[in-house]
Amino acid sequence: MTRRGKDEDPLGANSEIGRKLRQYYDDLVTEDIPDRFSDLLNQLEQKSGAETAGNKD
Amino acid sequence: MSVYPGFRDDLLAAVPSLRAFAVSLSKSADRADDLVQESLVKAWDKQNSYQPGTNLKAWLFTILRNEFYSQMRKRKREVEDADGAITGRLSVHPAQEGSVDLKDFRRALEQLPEDQREAIILIGASGFSYEEAAEICDCAVGTIKSRVSRARTRLQEILEISGEGDFGPDAISTQITNTAFIA
Repeated sequence: MTRRGKDEDPLGANSEIGRKLRQYYDDLVTEDIPDRFSDLLNQLEQKSGAETAGNKD
Repeated sequence: MSVYPGFRDDLLAAVPSLRAFAVSLSKSADRADDLVQESLVKAWDKQNSYQPGTNLKAWLFTILRNEFYSQMRKRKREVEDADGAITGRLSVHPAQEGSVDLKDFRRALEQLPEDQREAIILIGASGFSYEEAAEICDCAVGTIKSRVSRARTRLQEILEISGEGDFGPDAISTQITNTAFIA
């Protein structure tokens, strides 16, 4: 939720710096994500799943 | 157990943004991936402190930012200890190349002090409000505003004077005394 109100937006669409900043960032965001992150999350989930099961009784 | 079903998927969905923020902070793709990895582990471990329904991305950015600064403090000590041996690694540019134009911009961005760089990224690129950015950086809204404004001015200055030289990473001159403590 961006509420910029009457604040003039110094990084808005009319600002060259603002445009470049978003271009720079969007390039980074759209890069391919290494598998290590989903592997890691799977491991974490499995680990805590096992812990929960173990703590049942 | 996850704090709510789908927590894992939400974390995974946040990875691209987290990586972009991590690269922006650390200036290195490799370090950024380590930062994201570390942050995901931390987030998982302390997931009970997350309030479902609140801004997960902001929560994760806060964790990553804290991790970055604590690693930086640690590295600083290591660099000092290791007689500058690690300084070379500190200034590796990310693999991202992009257009010449954008390359200049990235280099300009890298010259900003961390506090200004993170502020302008959070506000100008990550889509956070000033209030959210202030919370992530644990400072006042006014502080974020002034950092963004200084960052913008500084970027403008750098980009205007750039073009002639190739300013690589700052040469961090950690010339630690080689003075041996030989008695």
